[in-house]
Amino acid sequence: MTMTETPSSRIEVSAKPPFYRDVTIVKWLVQLAVLAAVIFVAWFLANEAGDNIRARGLTSGFEFLSQPAGFQVSDGIDDNPATGGRALWVGMVTTLRLAIAGILSATVLGIIVGLGRLSNNWVVNKVATVFVETLRNIPLLVQIFLYFTILSGLSRVALDTGPINGWLHVSNKGVAIPRIKIADGFYQWLVLMVIGAFIARFVFKNRVAEQERTGNDSFALPIAAAVLAAIGVIAWFIHPIIGFLEAPLWAISDVLDGIPQIAVQLGLVALFFLAAARFVKNFRDSRRTPAGMAALTDDDWFRQIFAFVAAAMASVFVLIIWPGLSDWIVNSSSDLFGVLADKFGTNPETGADRSGAPFAGERPDIVQRGNFPNYGDSGLQMSQAWAAIFFAVTFYTAAFIAEIIRGGILAVAKGQSEAAAALGLSRMQALRKVILPQAFRIVLPPIGNQYLNLTKNTSLAVAVGLADVVQVGGTINSQSGKALSVFVIWMAFYLACSLTISVIVNFFNVRMKIVER
Amino acid sequence: MENSQPAPLALDPDHFNVDFTAESDLEALPPEEPGLAPKEWMQKNLFSSVGSTILTIIFSIFALWALRGLFGFMFSGERRWDAVATNARLIAVERYPLDQFNRIWFSLGSLLAMAGLSMAFFRASGYFTLKRIAMWLMNLGVLGLLGVILTPGAKTEVPPVVEGELPTFIQDSFGEAIGGRIVWILVSLVTLGIGLALWYGLGEDRRRTMRIASRWVIAAGFGLAVLSLWVVPYGRYFLENGVATSEPGLVAASTRIPWTIMWATFVGALLLGLALRDRIPARPPKMILGLLWLLAPFILNWIVLRDPDFDYDHVFSTDIPMALAFMLVGGALLYWLSNAGIGEKGKIVSIILLAFALFNWVAGFFGIYPMLQKARLSFLFLGLFALIAGNFSRDVRTRMNYVYAWMGSMAIFHWLVTAVNSPSTLDITSDTYLGGMTLTIFVAWLTLLVSFPLGVLFALARTSDMPIFRLLSTTYIEAVRGVPLITILFFFSVIIPLFLPEGMELAEVAAVVVGYGLFSAAYLAENVRGGLQSIRRGQFEAADALGLTSGQRTSFIVLPQALRVSIPPLVGQSIATFKETSLLAIIGLNDLLRVANNTIPSQTDFVGSKKEGLLVVSAIYFGVSFAMSKYSQRLEKRLGLGTR
Repeated sequence: MTMTETPSSRIEVSAKPPFYRDVTIVKWLVQLAVLAAVIFVAWFLANEAGDNIRARGLTSGFEFLSQPAGFQVSDGIDDNPATGGRALWVGMVTTLRLAIAGILSATVLGIIVGLGRLSNNWVVNKVATVFVETLRNIPLLVQIFLYFTILSGLSRVALDTGPINGWLHVSNKGVAIPRIKIADGFYQWLVLMVIGAFIARFVFKNRVAEQERTGNDSFALPIAAAVLAAIGVIAWFIHPIIGFLEAPLWAISDVLDGIPQIAVQLGLVALFFLAAARFVKNFRDSRRTPAGMAALTDDDWFRQIFAFVAAAMASVFVLIIWPGLSDWIVNSSSDLFGVLADKFGTNPETGADRSGAPFAGERPDIVQRGNFPNYGDSGLQMSQAWAAIFFAVTFYTAAFIAEIIRGGILAVAKGQSEAAAALGLSRMQALRKVILPQAFRIVLPPIGNQYLNLTKNTSLAVAVGLADVVQVGGTINSQSGKALSVFVIWMAFYLACSLTISVIVNFFNVRMKIVER
Repeated sequence: MENSQPAPLALDPDHFNVDFTAESDLEALPPEEPGLAPKEWMQKNLFSSVGSTILTIIFSIFALWALRGLFGFMFSGERRWDAVATNARLIAVERYPLDQFNRIWFSLGSLLAMAGLSMAFFRASGYFTLKRIAMWLMNLGVLGLLGVILTPGAKTEVPPVVEGELPTFIQDSFGEAIGGRIVWILVSLVTLGIGLALWYGLGEDRRRTMRIASRWVIAAGFGLAVLSLWVVPYGRYFLENGVATSEPGLVAASTRIPWTIMWATFVGALLLGLALRDRIPARPPKMILGLLWLLAPFILNWIVLRDPDFDYDHVFSTDIPMALAFMLVGGALLYWLSNAGIGEKGKIVSIILLAFALFNWVAGFFGIYPMLQKARLSFLFLGLFALIAGNFSRDVRTRMNYVYAWMGSMAIFHWLVTAVNSPSTLDITSDTYLGGMTLTIFVAWLTLLVSFPLGVLFALARTSDMPIFRLLSTTYIEAVRGVPLITILFFFSVIIPLFLPEGMELAEVAAVVVGYGLFSAAYLAENVRGGLQSIRRGQFEAADALGLTSGQRTSFIVLPQALRVSIPPLVGQSIATFKETSLLAIIGLNDLLRVANNTIPSQTDFVGSKKEGLLVVSAIYFGVSFAMSKYSQRLEKRLGLGTR
């Protein structure tokens, strides 16, 4: 609280207080002292760490990213990564796959169980309650170990076995199920489907307008879905016509390749300062009343100055500290367009036949290569460790999501469903148009939190030896002793994941928000 | 709040115990639903429509199948539950030396005595109506009968006729299986019978209104478990000359007497507390108990369990004089500083003290001006105490209480530091003397103690109007919340030794507790922030209008209300903290989970018996977390959050 006197005040302020009683000064002094202490402690610790690292003959730095990895990685996209960086990337992909698969299945299971807990049916209700109470109260790690142990205790793979031979296999090698695979023609088909989605949306709006005009049900949703399905089927056969996209994408890639580094750097610097200026302008615009300008606190000044300081620091970073960044941006965007171009047209080098079907189905098979039968390459196989951690995070998170869903639906005021009934909506309509949209608004933030937790929880894969980013990082650390660098990479990776999920959830959150006055 | 505590702490009874005094009236009986006849009930709840009927059938089959699977798993001949029974000691305390075991019993006894007294004095006890108890007994009986019928018969292994072939199995027939379970049928029938007798023996009204305090239910359950030690011969199982030998009764015989004493201690403390609580003033015992709960992990772990080997020459020549000097000189200084007319002088003195303490600290790190760590810390505490001394400038009594608080904390602090720094007399080869359940509980408890004040501080900084504090705290909280716990634990067990100056070492457990505490503090801060944001603006303005300083406003107006609102999420966070101590197993500390997952299966007697131990560990974790979450739900209802 700053001690500002209103002009109308009659009280005479005899003198300014001494500086050590001036709240503003004291506050800033304390803050600066704490900041200095934090910086000092950080510097001191970093100094000690540097000394200790040198004394133990360890090195810090990120050279291991480009040096040969020297270890194998199980269950990843690449069993034998060439460099440490590649190995970490393989681990990251495993983490991301686990997280995405876990989020999808936990959401579906959680919604089912959450609705089950609200069911009027006694048996369904009790089964859902037992599911939730048991699974959320047993630590995730214990569950992972338990599932892992149970899976390892199962019988060996044998030819012609499985609960449903050819469709579902469960054994001590893990779980194998059929899968639908993206085939060569998929990306061309996808482009057509995006166009199809726009057409379907147009049809949908048209039908809704029709319904509002005439008052008769015009079956907007079924018709739009049918249109999309029809386009999907047609696109299945005609998708090779999209192959022409290949040439322009290559052209963009070449143009990007030709941009000089300094141009990118200058562009970035300009961008930073523009952003800072824009921030300050918006900020001042929002206060542009005499009272608003007068009430600018020290805090607000700090913000405005800090915007420019941040821009300057970012510029120094781009220009001096890491000039390679600009090159990297140009090269990777050029590469990105190259990769995109590769998805279209027939490429003689990779041998992909882009005129083929967009999807292919695969069923698990069992082959005998050596002494013992094992799963072949076909189908979707989860290794023991993968299955253990996947089922554990799915069940664990589903239990929490179920509680959130239940709470969200119960939180919608009773008057809402009564009002819907009074309007003559059927139970289903009331649920779909009145209750669920409001419940969705309530449950979205906590569910987003659960998605974050799930992503972080996949790091427990290290306990059963699945090569996720934490396990690979741990291996690199034990080989090269670069604990600090590995930790920085972990932190950056998980922060990026968390940020991405937050942005996605926030996007829906903002869209769902009630528009207030 | 005329509480003399400067900043309310987690276990300050006044915050946790806002209106627990009227224990029976607050939990008014809910209006009873009119009882339906069984036929109507089934029609309403199971077969209300075609869809509902189908669901009922499908889910009943599923539930029965799952139950059969669970029972089959538990009672299968392959399960070696003796692996758990034999290793109960490992699970509980890992490798604590057997000849020093009285220390374990003493610790457990004091905790149980404190629990019994707290249950009496804090009046935190609910009731179970006889109706509910009867319902439980009936459910238990039916579950037992279902188990008897559903559990698949035992498999007998028939050795292969031809060498090299897999053995075949013969499954007992249904009749044979049931025949072997007569005892269980009887037990289930008796349980069911007691339940039915309670249900129908009491009228509708009496079974609703008659109730038993849950403390007696707890005591009875505990008593039954102890009684089972006298009745069931829990045995020890070992290999002798390659032959599996079991010696029934060994495990039970070695533990039945201590456990009986434990039970007696608990019940005795409960009775004592109940007898005393209406005769003596309520406040002092509550404060003493709260303080004891705070200090218990330190005292029990470092003093009782660790058994420090004091160097008495040093103690008498240095430690005690130093403690006395700080107590007396510091006390006098604080008494003078809490004098009402002291004005600016007090602030200046305290700032000089703080600056001196910080200088000591920095100089000590560089080895310029060596001073005992204990003295450095004491100066720092003295500076902090001096800083807030002005808040106690009332009558002589308040001032003297403040001085006593200083002396007490100094005595405890010096005693603890001396004890921690003395070598242990225990003859233990591994680096830590805690393991199993004790380690889990200790880490969880200490983590909560570390993280709570930190979390409150971070929350205050994040909601304050000072930009640098806000920036620092927000960055910290978001960065920590963004990464998984396991990376933080790795960081603290691997990297922190790199950061420390030469000659300074940190035991792995301590490093883990620090890391876990810092991690947990970020989450706690978010919960507390939720509470802080729920405080109405008017409260701040009212505090300002009364002329309170911002420190007084925070500690007397804002925080008490904010913490009250954030109790349910804080309990939830505590449950999560307890559950996540299982991660210690990954970084190689012998906690509960690691004993079950690694230690027991690697014993020659029990090679590969993992599932049994893991199931027991799941049951332990489930029991504690479930009880805590139920308690938090009741707390929420009692505090009337969201309804007031």
